[in-house]
Amino acid sequence: MVAKRRVFNTYIILVASIVFIYYVLVCVWPFAFNLYLSFRKTDLLTEDKFIGLGNFRFLWKDPIFWRSLRNNIFYLAMMVPLGIVTSLFAAALIYRTSGIMRKVYTALYFAPVVTSMAAASLIWQLLYYPKIGLFARILSSLFRLDPNSLTFLQNPTTALLCIIIMDVWKDSGLRTVIFLAGMDEIPDSIFESARIEGASEWRQFFSLTVPLLRPQLIFVGAIYSINAIRLFVPVYMMTGNPPGGPANSTKVLAIQMYQEAFYGLRFGYGATISMVIFALLVGLVILELRSFEQRWEY
Amino acid sequence: MRHRARRKVNQFILHCILLLGGALMVAPFVWMVLSSFKPSLEVISINFSFFPRRWTLANYIRVFREVSLGRAYINSLLVASCVTLSVLFSATAAGYLFSKLRFRGRDQLFILTLASVMIPPHIVLVPLYTLMNRLQWINTYQGLMFPFLMSAFGIFLMRQFIRGIPNDLVEAARIDGASDFRIYWSVILPLVRSALAVLGILTFLWNYDEFLWPLVVVHDNRMMTIPLILGHFTQAEAKFPGESMAACTLVVVPVLVVYAFFQTQFVKGISMTGLKG
Repeated sequence: MVAKRRVFNTYIILVASIVFIYYVLVCVWPFAFNLYLSFRKTDLLTEDKFIGLGNFRFLWKDPIFWRSLRNNIFYLAMMVPLGIVTSLFAAALIYRTSGIMRKVYTALYFAPVVTSMAAASLIWQLLYYPKIGLFARILSSLFRLDPNSLTFLQNPTTALLCIIIMDVWKDSGLRTVIFLAGMDEIPDSIFESARIEGASEWRQFFSLTVPLLRPQLIFVGAIYSINAIRLFVPVYMMTGNPPGGPANSTKVLAIQMYQEAFYGLRFGYGATISMVIFALLVGLVILELRSFEQRWEY
Repeated sequence: MRHRARRKVNQFILHCILLLGGALMVAPFVWMVLSSFKPSLEVISINFSFFPRRWTLANYIRVFREVSLGRAYINSLLVASCVTLSVLFSATAAGYLFSKLRFRGRDQLFILTLASVMIPPHIVLVPLYTLMNRLQWINTYQGLMFPFLMSAFGIFLMRQFIRGIPNDLVEAARIDGASDFRIYWSVILPLVRSALAVLGILTFLWNYDEFLWPLVVVHDNRMMTIPLILGHFTQAEAKFPGESMAACTLVVVPVLVVYAFFQTQFVKGISMTGLKG
């Protein structure tokens, strides 16, 4: 620490108070007000009354809420492992290249990361066009499927999976780059001694590379599970009007919260759902901090 | 000799797989650009062809005429640039505050900023919306920018970087009679330029892509940002696929071109912060 203890320092007072006021306005007060709203039934205009735990009791019996929660959890459970495995595979392959080609591959895999999610969703929505879209054509000719059965986003059983696959594509470059940076940090001597002892490439990958990538794996897992809980844009963009269809098969918590509050004007109930999202986020962050604290010995 | 031959074959297979994967990654973009030059009826049709049979600019003309895409560009660029500048200055100022200065309540304030990560604007939409309503900031640039002007991630990142600056340097400036404002401006800012580049790129990209908050705070067509304009096309998808892909091309291609120029910084920056985040 450098600063001498001075009684009055304009810099400290100015910056600290700006930071404090900003975070009170954008974080502390909104959170408190959100909590307050979750105990009320209000449209913010005419009606505003305290209903105790009424919103939470309604939430408990709301089948759409449970469906949304289930969809979020399904999304997390599919998206995180799929995303990690594909990117780990890509990183392991790119790791073996060098020079200009390595740059080319990184550039290609990274391109979707820098494009906006809204645009990516629109493109994929068209690729998923039922029956005569590009994917329907490719799949029906490759596997001799009936193109009329390939309705992707309009089929309740496949709709959410289609969004997951798009999302895996969208950010795989980012995860690959993170894993690649981790692999580059592993000293060559470790692989050298494994090779001398006769370990196969596969063996080296699973017993050395993967365990040594633990920090990156935890980080990626944490980021994408948080994203899965906050999921909004691709569902909103790809599932038409109102979003979340068909038959609530892609409805997620953020979508339901938005609809309850800003379509249905049930601001109290919307606030209740965002308290659930908040609780899930806190749970995930605690889990993440725990796994970071556990030291890995080797 | 046989060993080397086998290695060559392996390398060849490796590059084949990687090239195929890379082609798959960018194929949706190629398809987007090609579709944007097709007449709308041809994009989704029974007679499928990958390349346009008849090249046309009609989609682009219609996008510019019917949707205020030009205005949306200006809105998006303005909001994202202002937010990025604000985040860069505030993150460095607060990073200096939290790493080199000592005052009462410092740790509590730092914990408050970190806790804000768990309360992103997207989960306190309703309170923030009422706040904007009371300030009459609905449909304004201030309203679009407000929840993103400071970033806890940015403060944390800059704090880590500024910690690495030797105390002697700050001390020397202080002995020369520099105030903390002066030290911030002439000592700290120049030393963290590389970190600022990374934080700037990330903040700009995230805000350029922001969707949910503009959706809530903007209703006026003239104030819409790029993602919201694209949102218009989601319902019209079946009728106007050509226009929809033309709009996407106009949004995606500039970013891809910028990315192609700064590729190395992009990738290095993102993976660097990724590990520290």
